[in-house]
Amino acid sequence: MFLPASSSPKLRRTLAVIGAAAAVPLVLAGCTDNTKTTGATDGPIQVSSTANECKVSTGTAPSGNLTFAVKNEGTEVTEFYLLAEDGLRILGEVENIGPGITRNLVVTAPAGKYNTACKPGMQGEGIRASFEVTESGTKPSVDADFQKLLDNGSQQYAAYVKDQTEQLIVGTKAFAEAFAAGDAGKARDLYASTRMHWERIEPVAESFGDLDPKLDAREADLEPGQEWTGWHRAEKDLFPPAEYTAMTPAERTAISTQLVADTEDLVTRTRTVELTPDKLGNGAKELLDEVATGKVTGEEEIWSHTDLWDFQANVDGARIAFENLRPALEQKDAELAQSLDEKFTALQTELKKHAKGDGFVYYNELSQEQVQQLAALVDSLGEPLSKLTAAVVL
Amino acid sequence: MTANYLIGLREGLEASLIVVLLMAYLIKTGRRHLIPRVWMGVALAIAISLGFGALLTFGPRGLTFEAQEAIGGGLSIVAVALVTWMVFWMARTARSLGGELRSQVDKAADGAAWGLVVVAALAVGREGLETALFIWAAAQATGETTLPLLGALLGLLTAAGLGYLLHRGVLKVNLGRFFTWTGVGLIIIAGGVLAYGIHDLQEAGILPGLNNLAFDVSAAIPPSSWYGTLLKGTLNFSPATTWLEAAAWLLYVIPVLFLYIRANRSAPPQASRKTSTTAVTAHP
Ligand SMILES: [Cu+2]
Repeated sequence: MFLPASSSPKLRRTLAVIGAAAAVPLVLAGCTDNTKTTGATDGPIQVSSTANECKVSTGTAPSGNLTFAVKNEGTEVTEFYLLAEDGLRILGEVENIGPGITRNLVVTAPAGKYNTACKPGMQGEGIRASFEVTESGTKPSVDADFQKLLDNGSQQYAAYVKDQTEQLIVGTKAFAEAFAAGDAGKARDLYASTRMHWERIEPVAESFGDLDPKLDAREADLEPGQEWTGWHRAEKDLFPPAEYTAMTPAERTAISTQLVADTEDLVTRTRTVELTPDKLGNGAKELLDEVATGKVTGEEEIWSHTDLWDFQANVDGARIAFENLRPALEQKDAELAQSLDEKFTALQTELKKHAKGDGFVYYNELSQEQVQQLAALVDSLGEPLSKLTAAVVL
Repeated sequence: MTANYLIGLREGLEASLIVVLLMAYLIKTGRRHLIPRVWMGVALAIAISLGFGALLTFGPRGLTFEAQEAIGGGLSIVAVALVTWMVFWMARTARSLGGELRSQVDKAADGAAWGLVVVAALAVGREGLETALFIWAAAQATGETTLPLLGALLGLLTAAGLGYLLHRGVLKVNLGRFFTWTGVGLIIIAGGVLAYGIHDLQEAGILPGLNNLAFDVSAAIPPSSWYGTLLKGTLNFSPATTWLEAAAWLLYVIPVLFLYIRANRSAPPQASRKTSTTAVTAHP
């Protein structure tokens, strides 16, 4: 990647401008108030680093801007780090603290658990201690970095939606072909797994008010005079209840054609939908509500009983939205991120117990206790999830 | 005292090596009159660094850790791009020495020499912020003792002295070898600067993989030892290097060195008129 050996003044100017342009916004965005710690403990936190000790004057501090005044009282050059609880992520560091010298580390830390570390001799793990930041109520102001994290999250989710719709259209075409051809066996095989792509991005799909009923309406929810099309119309024909009159080949073809056309319409429209952090946050909550109202009750797939596929897909969609918002959330409310992580894991662990082959057991095979267990985990995830949007947007 | 001395030495060496090589090159190609531009860049960088250091220490606003690392890392990468450009520019002008295109090349060189100001400013400024912060901290500590400041300043002086010796040394080298070796030296130094820049960005959390080490020889080469200091100061060698740093170093140094050596082979420094003409027109 070398630059051409041309000495055109234009190139040089461009380089200088790039250099300056790269530095200026960073400086502006990276400024932080030099004012010392706000809250009960005034003044910087004193740190004394020697060859075998790393004394920090306090083990807790209120959240906001923390100033560590690190004095090297040893004989070797030392470094000081503030690390996340995992001991890996660096929140701040000062290097090159020579003997007899005091240097300050100013770092903005939300409430949570951290580690401090001195590294005399600048090598190894350092001398570590845990450090706690308590909630002070003063939120650090939103800076450009935070906005960037949010934007990244939205972009990642948009990519996810794109990917899911692509898989959805491919699956839908295969399903529609089998269904129209009267190949019920193949269509049944494709039914649940293809629908997962739809269920994962349901809040986005639902934002187009006209498409959702055409694609996903259940017979019980039909309004008077509404024509019944979409997945569940096919479901009833593939998993027919007693005293059901099968569709004619012409009817099946019509449903199939419509299903593909509507899905194609959906794919096109999702390409231009603008995803914002609040849409991600609210969408995640909506997905979980879907689980609570439709899947836990077994109403969604009343004939096929493939509710657990949808269940898993809704949880996937919610989890991806959360993961994409997570870097931003961790800056604002690390505890909430932690709690969501735990609850998603718990629900996923329980759901996995009902996996069977590539899919799941049928919903009517679950015992009452098993359903209750799932419902309880959904409820306990729903509570912190409802705080997600407010935490990242406000 | 020794430790502070080593810090000054290391930071000083990091800043001065590129400057020394740039100046030696200008002298060898008879462009001594352009040397003030290099000094201009150095002065500019020192002034900006000290001003910045003072502002950040005593001003109302400090710099977040991420910003500090991002600026350091970003500047390093810009510096590498510029040094690389200089190396190839040098290879090219060196080839035309004594050639019929001389006046034309001189014109170009005079224009390009403003690039020298930028390269020199970046080479010094990259470490300048860090050094300035250290010096302010040391100056404040002098309330208790002057030893830390003295140590750091002596280190900087030693670095300057070593730079001067190196400068004298490279001037004695024969012209043909000189061009090859300054270029190779600059490429290897630039590779180190790039790896270091990557490390800064990893620490800022902008790039991943901070804890995935390719090798860790800290036990054999402690960073606080004099030889660790020299390796770091000259080559930006880090005893604990991440995979990403190592990969960046290799991906930069190997192809650039290859292209550079090929460019030199195809037209040796003391080229005849014929080769210099073709070299200039048929440059890759
Ligand atoms: Cu390039």
